[in-house]
Amino acid sequence: MTDETKLHDLIGIEHHKLNFFQELQQNIKELKEINRESEDQRYEITAILDGITDVMMVLSENMEIISVNRVFEQLFPGVNPIGKKCYSLFRDTGEPCQECPAFKSLSTNSVCRNTAIFRIGEKNMQFDMVASPLKNHEMPGNQILIFKRDVTMEKEYQAKFYQAEKMATIGVLAAGVAHEINNPMAAVAGFAEGIQRRLTRLEQSIPEDLAEDLYDYTNTILKECLRCQDIVKTLLSFSRPVASEFIPVNMNQVAEDTIRLLDHQFRRYQSVKLSMNLASPIEHIYGNEAQLKQVILNLLTNAIDAVEENGEITVETFIENNHVGLRVCDTGCGIDPQNKDMLFEPFYTTKQVGKGIGIGLSTCFNIVREHNGEIVVESEVGIGSCFTVLFPIQ
Amino acid sequence: MQITKFAIPEVIFGNGSIKFLASCARRLGAKRVLLVSDKGLEESGWVKKIQDILKNDNLECIYFNELTANPRDCQIQQGAKLYRENKADVIIGLGGGSPIDASKGIATIVSNGGNIHDYEGANRISHPLPPMIFIPTTAGSGSDVSQYAIITDNERHVKMSIISRSLVPNISIIDPDLLVTKSRGLILASAVDALAHAIESYVSRLASPFTESQALTAIGLIAGNIKPAANSKDREALKNLAIASTAAGMSFSNAGLGVGHALAHSLGGRYDVTHGLTLPILLPSVVRFNQRSCERKMAIIANTINDSCPAPLSAKKKPLSVTLYNMFEELEIPMKLREIVPDNKHMEEICRIAVKDACSVPNPKEATWQDLLEICNEAW
Repeated sequence: MTDETKLHDLIGIEHHKLNFFQELQQNIKELKEINRESEDQRYEITAILDGITDVMMVLSENMEIISVNRVFEQLFPGVNPIGKKCYSLFRDTGEPCQECPAFKSLSTNSVCRNTAIFRIGEKNMQFDMVASPLKNHEMPGNQILIFKRDVTMEKEYQAKFYQAEKMATIGVLAAGVAHEINNPMAAVAGFAEGIQRRLTRLEQSIPEDLAEDLYDYTNTILKECLRCQDIVKTLLSFSRPVASEFIPVNMNQVAEDTIRLLDHQFRRYQSVKLSMNLASPIEHIYGNEAQLKQVILNLLTNAIDAVEENGEITVETFIENNHVGLRVCDTGCGIDPQNKDMLFEPFYTTKQVGKGIGIGLSTCFNIVREHNGEIVVESEVGIGSCFTVLFPIQ
Repeated sequence: MQITKFAIPEVIFGNGSIKFLASCARRLGAKRVLLVSDKGLEESGWVKKIQDILKNDNLECIYFNELTANPRDCQIQQGAKLYRENKADVIIGLGGGSPIDASKGIATIVSNGGNIHDYEGANRISHPLPPMIFIPTTAGSGSDVSQYAIITDNERHVKMSIISRSLVPNISIIDPDLLVTKSRGLILASAVDALAHAIESYVSRLASPFTESQALTAIGLIAGNIKPAANSKDREALKNLAIASTAAGMSFSNAGLGVGHALAHSLGGRYDVTHGLTLPILLPSVVRFNQRSCERKMAIIANTINDSCPAPLSAKKKPLSVTLYNMFEELEIPMKLREIVPDNKHMEEICRIAVKDACSVPNPKEATWQDLLEICNEAW
């Protein structure tokens, strides 16, 4: 004790029993301030998280979902994911997925990536996954942060791009070849005609059967030349840069042209019987000839693959309910009902490696959709399949 | 007239009022209380009773009893440690002056930290204290309503006076039933302490109409009830002593005391004697020392005593000091300082310390250490 106590100290007018009230007030004020700050921070973080367009999940070590962002709700509407296993939602299985980068990320304590296709709802979706470990000494177990970016469209466009590029290259090649072939063909046809002209003058001086043979040969030469010119013409039209405008198109013409392109394939498989049944007359539809040719080409290629070496392929056109239809039927292997839903998914294929990448039908689907048409599949395993494409008559 | 102030806690008074303890504690936010008491009260069964009351109301109770008659600074630290370690909330002090003063000390350390020495003097507590409920078991100390806490400083051998409005408890539950288990000696010592509170605060320089009336009430009640209460433990008399003690407490808490208590603190610090024993010895001499500076008040006190117990004190016109001496002598209380302290070697030092005690400040006559030494010599 330093100061001496005075009378007025004992009265202590200005000293009161100290209450908690003041301190409480101060605490409340401070807490409110802190609360406001943390609320601001929370909003900021929420805004950042909402700005992320990838699916974001925090998982426990055993793949249990701890928290998700808003994008997740768009992917699985009405599902409360908290506490569920990641793989039960994405794969509908009871086992963790093989390709999951989470495990590798945890064991190596580094950011790991992988790509996988998941079937979500009725769609196949391809995701780029990035897993980063969340190791915190204050938390009991380790956690993993996973981002899943939907790259389905990207991959689809990428594949389309490759395909288009390939087609364009083939087109240029075809155009070049066609041009080069046209000249010798003209020469061959010219000389064949020349032989025929001379033949009329020689008719009297050579034996009749020889003249007949020569006529026959030159006619065949001329006919085949004509056919070559036709093929060349079709090739040239096919490889013409895609015109964005829709023009009136005759589906019969398109079908015939396309089949002509595949002539060599049919000739290879002698046992495959191709029959055509084209409606005449037929209405024009508005469309892009090259794209429509691609549709038929795809359908026919699939049909040939389906029948393999023995069977029948029918191509028909018809008019029905103000629509022009084209149907390609085969007596091939048919489509397994469980695969039917996935036919038009990009990259879905039952073909062997090297035979196809699963882009054909999805491309057909897109082209038909762009033409306001529809595509219908009927199929039975072991009996065959029918693909019907319908385009509205404008 | 100088501006005065009157601060008291909520007082719950009456036989059986102890039953409100749990609800009072709850209202103050109690979940786990620290109960401060001593071994004497354990033996009388009151500690168990209090623990049961709390337990029946699902209140946890931490019990602290490491106390001596005059609470020491180290004991306060122990109690505060126990409070903190157990995350206690409300402090309940049960007992005479010692457990209650210890409770005040513990409360101070708990919320203000540091050492109890830091708060010696007036108005040095700066943070609010935890809620406190006091249950006095002696009719004397008045500590349960006062803003004073007296803690012994072991090193300096002095009793420190800590004065702060924050030391006034939230609630004081005064149940006269608790007094019946006390010994004659304790009842007497407490009553004399209360009487000294009343007399010293009545003549104090800080006395106000609010404290004077309380002081006179106390003086009258003590004079009229001390004998039946001590000799036969008369229930009514004990209740009146409880009222007197509380009234005296209200009075001295606000008006302060005098050199009698200053000396008693100083002697107690040196020789560890309770001031219940020192005060009857010192009081006649102190009254004589102050007589001149407050003649009228001394006369009123004498009249009040005589009015309350007229029979044995028939001889009127005696000075108050003589009246008091006769009254204490009749009660067979030791009346010489030499009977209770071993030697008088340290008297000068004791008086030098007493003169600095906060209690001597409002004494009606300013006293030097030599004045105090004279008082002591007179009482030797």
